Amino acid sequence: MSIVWLRTAVALYSLGLIYVLLFLFGKGARLFIPAHIAFATGAVFHLVALVELHQELGSWPLNNFYETSSVCAFLIAVFFLAIYTYYRIEVFAICLFPLVFFMSLIGATEFAVPNWAGLGVRNAYLMAHIATALVGYAALILGALASVFYFLQERHLKRKGQTPPRLKLPPLGTLDQVISQAMNVGFVAITLATISGVIWASVNEGMRWIFNAEIGFFLFTWAFYLAMMFLRISAGWRGRRLAWMAVSVLGCSMLTWAAHVTRSVLTR
Amino acid sequence: MKLVVAGLNHRTAPVEVRENLAFRVEDLAPALAMLRSGVGAREAMILSTCNRVEVTATFDTAGPSEETIAAFLAETHGVAAGSLAAHIYSYEERQAIRHLFRVASSLDSMVIGEPQILGQLKQAYAQAREHGAIGGYLDTVLTRAFSVAKRVRTETEIGQNAVSVGYAAVELAKQIFGSLHKKTVLIAGAGKMSESTAKHLERAGVTDILITNRTAERADQIAQVFRGRVIPYEDFPVRLDEADIVIASSAAPGYLLTCEQIKRAIEIRRNRPMFFIDIAVPRNIDPAANDIEHAFVYDIDDLQRVVNENLEGRSEVAKRAEAIVEEEVERLLARLRARDVTPTIVGLQEQLEAVRSAELARFKGKLGTLTREQEDAIEAMTRGIINKIAHGPISELRRTAEGGGQGEGSGGSSELVNLVRRVFRVPERNR
Repeated sequence: MSIVWLRTAVALYSLGLIYVLLFLFGKGARLFIPAHIAFATGAVFHLVALVELHQELGSWPLNNFYETSSVCAFLIAVFFLAIYTYYRIEVFAICLFPLVFFMSLIGATEFAVPNWAGLGVRNAYLMAHIATALVGYAALILGALASVFYFLQERHLKRKGQTPPRLKLPPLGTLDQVISQAMNVGFVAITLATISGVIWASVNEGMRWIFNAEIGFFLFTWAFYLAMMFLRISAGWRGRRLAWMAVSVLGCSMLTWAAHVTRSVLTR
Repeated sequence: MKLVVAGLNHRTAPVEVRENLAFRVEDLAPALAMLRSGVGAREAMILSTCNRVEVTATFDTAGPSEETIAAFLAETHGVAAGSLAAHIYSYEERQAIRHLFRVASSLDSMVIGEPQILGQLKQAYAQAREHGAIGGYLDTVLTRAFSVAKRVRTETEIGQNAVSVGYAAVELAKQIFGSLHKKTVLIAGAGKMSESTAKHLERAGVTDILITNRTAERADQIAQVFRGRVIPYEDFPVRLDEADIVIASSAAPGYLLTCEQIKRAIEIRRNRPMFFIDIAVPRNIDPAANDIEHAFVYDIDDLQRVVNENLEGRSEVAKRAEAIVEEEVERLLARLRARDVTPTIVGLQEQLEAVRSAELARFKGKLGTLTREQEDAIEAMTRGIINKIAHGPISELRRTAEGGGQGEGSGGSSELVNLVRRVFRVPERNR
């Protein structure tokens, strides 16, 4: 029964994730309160799930990676709610809402769905994963390209025209906006790709999915991306730092891609 | 028809001479009338700007001498003709067309590539046209000059880079921010140069202008000009974060803005960039601030260097523009020469047709009754004969005219025209 409560908690946490994704495009400011309520309610269901699991197991649910991930997510949620109650700091939500959602989702995959409802559903999940991942990579490549132009244009302006660029480069402000939008779109796409990838792998491979190196890389990339986005929003990163961030996230994503390609080659 | 351009410009005459010869708008009508009646021009246009006074005119016979133009300018402005002779230049035909094209394309301007001259030339053309001084020939040449100027601007980058300190500052601001719409400018120190730079920025879209000055009255005056807001002089380093662009031109002996103050302002702005234009001497802003991320500091020497580089760039581009002008001069000359032989070609065709019609009428009675088909056949046959006869001379006339009268075995376009007219008895009215 505990899995039902945990899945309910994950569903409620997902509203927090949606709030963050909308916030990136400047559209979620008013949604914080409903998202926060959903998050708090999710934490209550999460507690119920953990208590039931404790009763079922006869011990604290810290026996494997899934259980520790779930407990850790719950503790993060509790700490966030406490901090928010005392200090009203919203900005942590940008990082913690998605993090808690994913850690809880991983916890929920301990009780894997045994089979796909059909081959079509399986393929649809796989296609959603691949398509969103590709959209994410495309946005990251665009962002990284704009970053290179940013470095060149900034260098040109800082050196006061002593190294005239061979290309007529766009203004720094425009490049900053392009990088920012590319990073936002990339984050949304990579997040959706990660969700669909985790669900697909957990159903397809059962509990073994967590040892899948590709998924591991993907989760690592997503976590790195999340940290970067949090820094960008909380510290107001823009310009050169934002450009470096775009390049480094692309580099990290390339590692994930390399892992996919290597595995494909090896399995052939 | 002979085309002549004569006058003086910034290269041949100092401003003291030029300023005495400028035409006011109300003086143009009598001056154009004098050119036509007194000097003998068939068509005329006067271009009068701060850098040049030029007369463009066409004449039926040989054009006037430089002395005649000097005398005309002297008479219209009440100065001694002798004092002008040394400053006057005069171009005819090919050189005149080339000069007009160069002027329109801003290749003859003091600042190569400046855009105003084309507008001034168009205005001079419109005024001359309004006074009935423009005919077919000048119309062809001048409208072509406008097209050439457009082509030069489109195909080269002659007008793309800033060549004044104020405009260079605007261009740099655009490279940093993109659009300047809704950007805020802070003018610290109310000098003429800062005012001029602020005007450029305002024209580029800046909407909010803050002014600070040691003397509050002067700050108020400038605030009225720009409909800006005055902030107290002692407060402005604290309110620095409100500005996207800072123009510093105070007479203060040391740095008004230090690296620490700029760093703090950028932090408050959450890393939104700032552009500092330091046109004061001694400088008002610590130049080391240029190393701060998101801060771009340009002093007067930096801006002047940008301007000089752009001017050098324009000189390079001008070489390509000159090639376009040469190509267009050749094209127009060919067109004008072809136009010169058109009356002769039309006359030749009319003459041959007259001969054909007369001969056909004379022999019609001797041919007896003809059917409709037979009449049509004879019409077609006789027309075919005269077309074949005319084809050779017409082709030769066109070829010689387009080639500038340098056709093989030809002594020039006018000789061929006369020869064709004599051989085929082309009537004089077709000249």
